[in-house]
Amino acid sequence: MAASRIRKTPFERIEYAIICSTLLLMVVVTVQPILNLLAVSLSDSAEVPGMSGLAVLPHGFSLDVWQVLLTHPQVLRGLANSLLITVAGTVINVVATTLMAWALSREGLPGRRAILIFILVTVVFEPGVVPDYLVMKQLGLLNSYWSVILYRGVFAWYLIVLIRFFEEIPKELLEAAEIEGASPLQTLWHVVAPLALPAIATITLFYTVLHWNEYFRAMIYLSDTGKWPLQVVLRQFVVEGDKSLMVGLDAMNKYTGGSQIDLRALKAGMIILTLIPVLAIYPLILKFFTKGTMSGAVKG
Amino acid sequence: MTGLDHSPSGLTPALAGNVPKARRSGLRRVWHWRGYYLMLLPGLLYFVVFHYLPMWQAKLAFQDYRIIGPSIWVGLKHFRALFESPVFYQVLWNTVLISAMKLVILFPVPVIVALLVNEVQGSRYRRFVQSAIYLPHFLSWIVIAGVFIAVLSPTDGTVNDILGLFGFAPVPFMTSEGSILWVLVFSEMWRSAGWDSLLFLAAVMAIDPQLYDAATIDGAGRWRKIWHVTLPALVPTMATVFILNLGAFMSAGFDQVFNFSNDAIRDRIDILDTYVYRMGLVGGEYAYATAAGLFKGVIGMAMILAAHVVAKRVTGKGVW
Repeated sequence: MAASRIRKTPFERIEYAIICSTLLLMVVVTVQPILNLLAVSLSDSAEVPGMSGLAVLPHGFSLDVWQVLLTHPQVLRGLANSLLITVAGTVINVVATTLMAWALSREGLPGRRAILIFILVTVVFEPGVVPDYLVMKQLGLLNSYWSVILYRGVFAWYLIVLIRFFEEIPKELLEAAEIEGASPLQTLWHVVAPLALPAIATITLFYTVLHWNEYFRAMIYLSDTGKWPLQVVLRQFVVEGDKSLMVGLDAMNKYTGGSQIDLRALKAGMIILTLIPVLAIYPLILKFFTKGTMSGAVKG
Repeated sequence: MTGLDHSPSGLTPALAGNVPKARRSGLRRVWHWRGYYLMLLPGLLYFVVFHYLPMWQAKLAFQDYRIIGPSIWVGLKHFRALFESPVFYQVLWNTVLISAMKLVILFPVPVIVALLVNEVQGSRYRRFVQSAIYLPHFLSWIVIAGVFIAVLSPTDGTVNDILGLFGFAPVPFMTSEGSILWVLVFSEMWRSAGWDSLLFLAAVMAIDPQLYDAATIDGAGRWRKIWHVTLPALVPTMATVFILNLGAFMSAGFDQVFNFSNDAIRDRIDILDTYVYRMGLVGGEYAYATAAGLFKGVIGMAMILAAHVVAKRVTGKGVW
């Protein structure tokens, strides 16, 4: 509170120190496990077996794990598949969601309410994963990238958020564009989208994360392991403990001149590799989404 | 383009003559908006194909699945089998227990985190804390499962290393029935406590600073201000969040449970969604699994609708 800064009793200072250290503890609990995995993946393979879970710095230094990972055919395929699914999926999501939100933000549109209810029904009632699977099968999309790209074409919650944003745009601007003879698409492109850019950027980032993190639909729709995204490869290796996928092909020996790579280090590296893209766009998410709450002591 | 377009023409004889004209102008109105309908088309097509077709497909719950030829109607056969299966009740109990534990234990956590963050005055420290604690929300449950398998490992995990410093024997948290539910609760907290606090933080920051100044003048300290000014202002947000959580009650966090599961504790944390997956997509019992999924879908829908009604009564507006 701004007022309490004027005069602080010793008791208040201690209080404040406790608050700050509680939050620091939270930060440590959040970040330390990730730093530990990074450290393990960068450590000398001989040192890894004795490494404590508390370590945050590598013991010795070696890029062997990363060399194996970044030349491993299954990992590279997984990366390529994830990128393809994420980019194609996000482009389709953003275009479809923006077009739909723009139309549904026009209050005069005949049938608007009925369409909104039509969409909300799908949020409220989910028939389950088996019917989803059988429909995908009937459409002939099983084992096609399209199944994973299209199954979430428009996410109803993001659509609703975007409609709300578009509704905020002053009506006079839209009317002016119409009088100028702009088509709905031109109005969207030249007037609405530039004004709602932060909102569109936010849903773009959220769709990107959704696609990058998707694994379940890929698991059930894509039977060909060559089409698996990175998350499914990671799951097979770390959660299911299926070593054959990663360690087959004598990959370990091939890339490290015979010295054994520790399995724990390889798993750690794989986890880090999978979260790097999220880490890369995370600053943008903070910038667009949490901007208003990030600076303290403005109010209150 | 007047209100006449909507009037149920034909009710009054005087208007009867207007019927063709009214219909024509209704069509003209739709024609006027044709550009917008065209833009709705891809999205609507998506909802029809990937949401309404599966709803129609869910009729399989009342049929026997046949690969060739039409499926045969069998009425409630699969539901009867479901309700007679002891496994189903175990799974239902697990779902309710896991959801209830998360709801009760974790509900206050984001509120407390928001209050703590709000107390931080240095904007650099505040940004540092926020940047760290929001991150886990964006990690997949597979990555989080990988992190927890490493952290909780009995041989070289962080938690057991700390316990070891105090002379405790290592605990195999991920594979023991006594601890796995707490692992689920804690990992959910690890992932969501930070991000979920954002909504409350926004609500705290929207509070009129004059209220705090007035409380200061009245001699209120930090805690009295939190109790009498901040918390009351958060009640509507709490109600909305609680009700939204209730709406997701029957799911109990499929992605989490699915990735934290292993042979040692599977029975303990098997929930409706993992059961449907295993029976249907692994076991090939399509019709039976569809019935189980439909059961969950209908209960889930009832809870969301009930939550919506309650939300409307408590906060004056619905969930949507």
